[in-house]
Amino acid sequence: MNRAELHDPSLCSDHGGESPGVWHLPHVPAGLKREWLALETRRHFLGRGMRALGAASLATLLGRAGPGLMARPAEMAGAPGPHFAPKAKRAIYLFMAGSPSQFETWDYKPGLAKMFDQDLPESVRGGQVLTGMTASQARFPIAPSVYKFSQHGRCGLWASELFPHTARLADDLCVLKSLHTEAINHEPAILQLTTGNMFAGRPSMGAWLSYGLGAANEELPTFVVMTSKMPVRTNVQALSNRLWSSGFLSPEHAAVALRAGGDPVLYLNHPGGVDGEMRRALIDGVNALNRQLYDEVGDPETNARIAQYEMAFRMQTSVPELTDFSNEPASTWDLYGPKAKEPGTYAYNCLMARRLAERGVRFTQVFLRTWDQHSNLPTNIRLMAEESDRPTYALVTDLKRRGLLDDTLVLWGGEFGRTVYSQGTLRPDNYGRDHHPRCFSMWLAGGGVKPGFSYGETDDFSYNIVKDPVHIRDLHATLLHLFGLDHSKLSFKFQGLDQRLTGVLPSRVIDAILA
Amino acid sequence: MRSSRRRSGGLRGLPAALALAAASIGAAAEPSFYATRVAPLLDRHCVVCHGPDKQKAGLRLDRHELVLAGAESGVVVVPAKLKESELYRRITLPVTDEEVMPSDGKPLLTPDEVKVIALWIERGASVTAPASAFPDAPAPRPVRAAAVALAPDWRSRVAEIAALERRLGLRIVPRSQVATDGLVLRTASAPRRCDDAAIAALAPLAPFLVEAELARTAISDTALVALRTWENLRTLDLTRTRVTTAGLAALAGHPRLEVINLTDTAVDDGAPAALARLPALQRTWLFGTKAANEAAAAGR
Repeated sequence: MNRAELHDPSLCSDHGGESPGVWHLPHVPAGLKREWLALETRRHFLGRGMRALGAASLATLLGRAGPGLMARPAEMAGAPGPHFAPKAKRAIYLFMAGSPSQFETWDYKPGLAKMFDQDLPESVRGGQVLTGMTASQARFPIAPSVYKFSQHGRCGLWASELFPHTARLADDLCVLKSLHTEAINHEPAILQLTTGNMFAGRPSMGAWLSYGLGAANEELPTFVVMTSKMPVRTNVQALSNRLWSSGFLSPEHAAVALRAGGDPVLYLNHPGGVDGEMRRALIDGVNALNRQLYDEVGDPETNARIAQYEMAFRMQTSVPELTDFSNEPASTWDLYGPKAKEPGTYAYNCLMARRLAERGVRFTQVFLRTWDQHSNLPTNIRLMAEESDRPTYALVTDLKRRGLLDDTLVLWGGEFGRTVYSQGTLRPDNYGRDHHPRCFSMWLAGGGVKPGFSYGETDDFSYNIVKDPVHIRDLHATLLHLFGLDHSKLSFKFQGLDQRLTGVLPSRVIDAILA
Repeated sequence: MRSSRRRSGGLRGLPAALALAAASIGAAAEPSFYATRVAPLLDRHCVVCHGPDKQKAGLRLDRHELVLAGAESGVVVVPAKLKESELYRRITLPVTDEEVMPSDGKPLLTPDEVKVIALWIERGASVTAPASAFPDAPAPRPVRAAAVALAPDWRSRVAEIAALERRLGLRIVPRSQVATDGLVLRTASAPRRCDDAAIAALAPLAPFLVEAELARTAISDTALVALRTWENLRTLDLTRTRVTTAGLAALAGHPRLEVINLTDTAVDDGAPAALARLPALQRTWLFGTKAANEAAAAGR
């Protein structure tokens, strides 16, 4: 049950006694002992109460206690748990890094066709500071989309011809056209979406969910990240574990990144000459040393370390089963296409995301990068759309037919928008678009959001929002709400503040998009 | 809203908020427009900065007499004089105006909310004028129905729950912090540990279980006979289990089962008929079964 009040102390009694502590180490000089104790922080002091829990978890692993109640240390610390009944049990975030243009995807602006190569009215830009990439341009000529739009579904969603498969999902999608951000470059913008803050070091969304809800499946990580092979090799966004870190939360809330090639998780296989029993003995030994260290110092991070060894050990059986696609029926390959058989492709990752969802993994983040079309946009966005369209459709359709979409939230989108004016030379069939933080589009599906619905409006130039703005904080507040969490209550004390995913600036749950 | 003087039984047609307010005041008094419509708006949008904790510009909007008392700079509500009411001017400014209220990017009042304030000021900014004097006011937002108890409060059974979790190797987790939202049976960590015997052993907790996540478990049709007695069960996931159409028949008549997932099970084209005998059923999935073709007809 993983609630503090359910915790049975009797299970942990063999590790619950007072530790002999530093004073009993014979080889440490008394002066150093005093200094060491003086350094013991409040956190260490408070952390001592957790000591028994880590030991109990190890006991579980070794079969000394029953499974179930005795799970990972953080869970036993008592995840805050859903404040109210959740709509979503899991989320799959398809992150289109580099940022697809809203003009060629979901924000149809038919009026622009007649304005080809006209200058963007100064009143629209309103003196906005531009990036160094276009600030020195003599002109800001309007670039209409070369791709055509048509309406789909009963809801009449306007979708670009670049996404024929996704368009078939029209009546399942909830399209947000009025997201906005302060960040104007990739790294801070991606960080703001993934962690709620432009500065590195904060816990990401998946880590907050792991902290808030605990694991549904203790054999797999709560939060998994996959980076897809790049269809294009220009303007590559850096993706690193800053984007899926646990920040100031316990390290076990960080994502496990499944690798694109070779072993999905490194070092899970036994090296030559080492069998499972030896591996187990090694982990037991390391954990025993760590437990001893914890008894002396009381740093909760030592427990997190033990938990990670345990997780790695459990993943030795759970990950091979997860990544073995041989039991997938023919209907899977018909749906996702042949690329899904090639590890590391976006299609493969989408199928993996479905398998993770089936197994209860709470948050899966799939990155597909190189949507950053400063030049040659028409050619490159078509390549990207071809990579993304069918697997995305397949994933949502697969979740839907298996009864998983109702409680799985799917998100598809980039980190900001792109400019209506061309970066560089504008030709009827070629142009580029610069970064644009003032508005961008994203769609959600399943997990308790309104299907066949659009929210928010931009002006005729998709430059400014005219109705229902959605800040990234609002998106985060809404995401947490769907998981049964009140964003204003889900907090963690750090640096003297009750830190939250949504920070301290105003944020709201977007009631209008809740089903 | 005409039925104000009737006893509480006669209030059934009123919006819940009004009914509640009426009940608290007493059945004889009609709820005032200020108390039921205006004060909640001020509470929601204004009182965080203009209330007991903070009094920006010396203004408090948490009590009627304080609203009329105004701010350091003067009155903000002039009864019956909308255009002279600074409060009204501020809440109707464009979002880009520095003086707009609420400030600091907090959400503005909706057009309906502005109209409620405007009508109230125009008709004298009274604290007593009854709600029925404002028939042209926009309808109040529907108040969420009071939370329905899905199951009895489980908290007195904590020790028993923990013991069963340990013994069976399963997870039994609260659906939320609301104790009457029920418990969820969760098996994802080790689905094969959950078999017919485990389901049978859970019988003492059956009234609390509103959701059973049984995908890929080792249960058979025998478990469905037991699940028929879990009377508060709303959601049942049987994906990739051995259950058959015969097992489904054992669930017939379950009073509350709303969602059932039969993906990749052995049920056949008799499944829709069996499902038709579940009176509360709303959603079904039959993907990957012999009954899949009937899914559309049976499921939605």
